Amino acid sequence: MPDFSYDIVIIGSGPAGATTARLAAEQGLNVLLVDKKQELGAPVQCSGAISRHAMEEVGVEPVDEFIHEAIYGFAIYNEKGEKKTIDYRQLAPEKYGPEQGKTPLGYVVDRRRFDRRLMTLAEREGVETWLKAEAKGYEVLPDGTCEVTIHHFNEVKKVKAKVVVGADGLQSIVGKWAGLRTQIRLTELASCLQFVVDKVETEGLLEIITGHEWAPGGYAWVFPKGYGYAEIGLGVVPTFTKNNAQQQVDYFMKSSFFKERFKDARILEVQGGGVPLAAPLKIQYADNMILVGDAARHVNPITGGGLHTALSGGKIAADFLAQTIKNGNDFSAKIMKGYQDNWLEQLGNKMWKLYDVKTEIFKTEDIPERDRLLYGTMSDYFSPNSEYKKI
Amino acid sequence: MNKPVLFDINWNACINCGACVAVCPQEEPFISPFDTIAIDRPCDIACMVCEMICPVTTITHRDAVPSDYPEGKVTEAFREGEKRQN
Ligand SMILES: Cc1cc2nc3c(=O)[nH]c(=O)nc-3n(C[C@H](O)[C@H](O)[C@H](O)COP(=O)(O)OP(=O)(O)OC[C@H]3O[C@@H](n4cnc5c(N)ncnc54)[C@H](O)[C@@H]3O)c2cc1C
Ligand code: SF4
Ligand code: SF4
Repeated sequence: MPDFSYDIVIIGSGPAGATTARLAAEQGLNVLLVDKKQELGAPVQCSGAISRHAMEEVGVEPVDEFIHEAIYGFAIYNEKGEKKTIDYRQLAPEKYGPEQGKTPLGYVVDRRRFDRRLMTLAEREGVETWLKAEAKGYEVLPDGTCEVTIHHFNEVKKVKAKVVVGADGLQSIVGKWAGLRTQIRLTELASCLQFVVDKVETEGLLEIITGHEWAPGGYAWVFPKGYGYAEIGLGVVPTFTKNNAQQQVDYFMKSSFFKERFKDARILEVQGGGVPLAAPLKIQYADNMILVGDAARHVNPITGGGLHTALSGGKIAADFLAQTIKNGNDFSAKIMKGYQDNWLEQLGNKMWKLYDVKTEIFKTEDIPERDRLLYGTMSDYFSPNSEYKKI
Repeated sequence: MNKPVLFDINWNACINCGACVAVCPQEEPFISPFDTIAIDRPCDIACMVCEMICPVTTITHRDAVPSDYPEGKVTEAFREGEKRQN
């Protein structure tokens, strides 16, 4: 006999899992949210840039608890250091700005505090949460539900649920339990490293530096981090270079057109990780299972941003599960496919389009031409009249 | 077909980012408790993409030997690898 029983068990309390949990509980479901960490968001593996409307869409209020710094626009650089600035304080001064009555375009958040806040909001909606709780496997039961095995501190707990949601991030294994092919191709995973530094000035803009010389297969960035700090990082795709991300950041800091700007930089934190510049998983569901967020490779393949897609994906998952469970449907893969259909319609098809754009750029062999294409696309992507609907 | 390998990770440099796991084609979870690929048993696929993705190049390997396998029970892939070498 299982020790516990819920409508849904969510594995991983990152932005995707915590949002799915909160919105599902809001619609009356009985939800367990587990995370193996002792402190959410740590070690930090994210730069934390997120637009304001991404949070608004899912009812998350921007609060001081997690905001490092407000953002008002972008500066996109080509490989020579020429830039295109898109500053909403100038483009729409009546709306965007630091003054009373105006708003920022987005924020750089502290993932430790952001993830903790999202879990708090879920808890306040009635979600049961366990930290130090690692999910180890699942089994479909004859009665059409499933049982998840969770190691919670030193105890092994069996939890019965109608559906398990894999929100377990980049290194996701939940999908593998059901035989889903979750592996990301080496050509499509950016290997990233960033430093939080002191003594580098920023101006409330997200700076994106393109060019094969600086970030082969990816791009470099300089983001404001609050308290006068900045973050400097980049992602490389290993098939484009022999250097690892660490060597490449070092080269970027010492040899690029920013070397003067960076010369007094003092490193305060080292962070990194993998960003899928991949297509979303072709199959994101199985019997009694759906995947959301990085686990489903729901990441914008052009920008590598996964926070917005994690939050919106969480909403799509929660709405689907609430509906399905209320309808009294079974939880077979056939029914779970409905989640993926909804996701494709609301988000995924746009992501596939971006994926095609990205693939076109990176299959260009001529480096100057590829640099030109990436710079052009990035500049377009962030411009106010962009043809790409922002995701 | 590659020769099976046993991985080692220099934990001092590892940032526990899980990138190595994300590119790994093993069908069953092949993981350590620190969000990395497993280092307590050999990998029979030995495609090496885990080593290539690591942002801090902290994964190394050597050829697997029979005692690396649980209870010394070598796999078919291991025997194949040995045969090819001889
Ligand atoms: C260097 C870097 C910079 C980035 N910068 C940005 C940025 O500026 N803006 C942006 O939008 N995106 C950025 N991203 C991407 C973004 O961080 C991810 O897309 C986002 O974190 C995905 O959220 P998630 O909830 O899907 O997964 P995660 O945040 O990875 O959460 C997964 C959770 O699952 C838990 N978990 C895993 N396995 C288990 C298990 N078996 N049992 C229990 N719990 C488990 C983990 O502990 C973790 O808390 C960046 C990524 C990197 C690597
Ligand atoms: S060599 Fe390939 S299959 Fe083996 S652990 Fe590394 S990525 Fe996985
Ligand atoms: S890719 Fe490298 S740094 Fe990241 S978890 Fe694996 S071994 Fe550690």
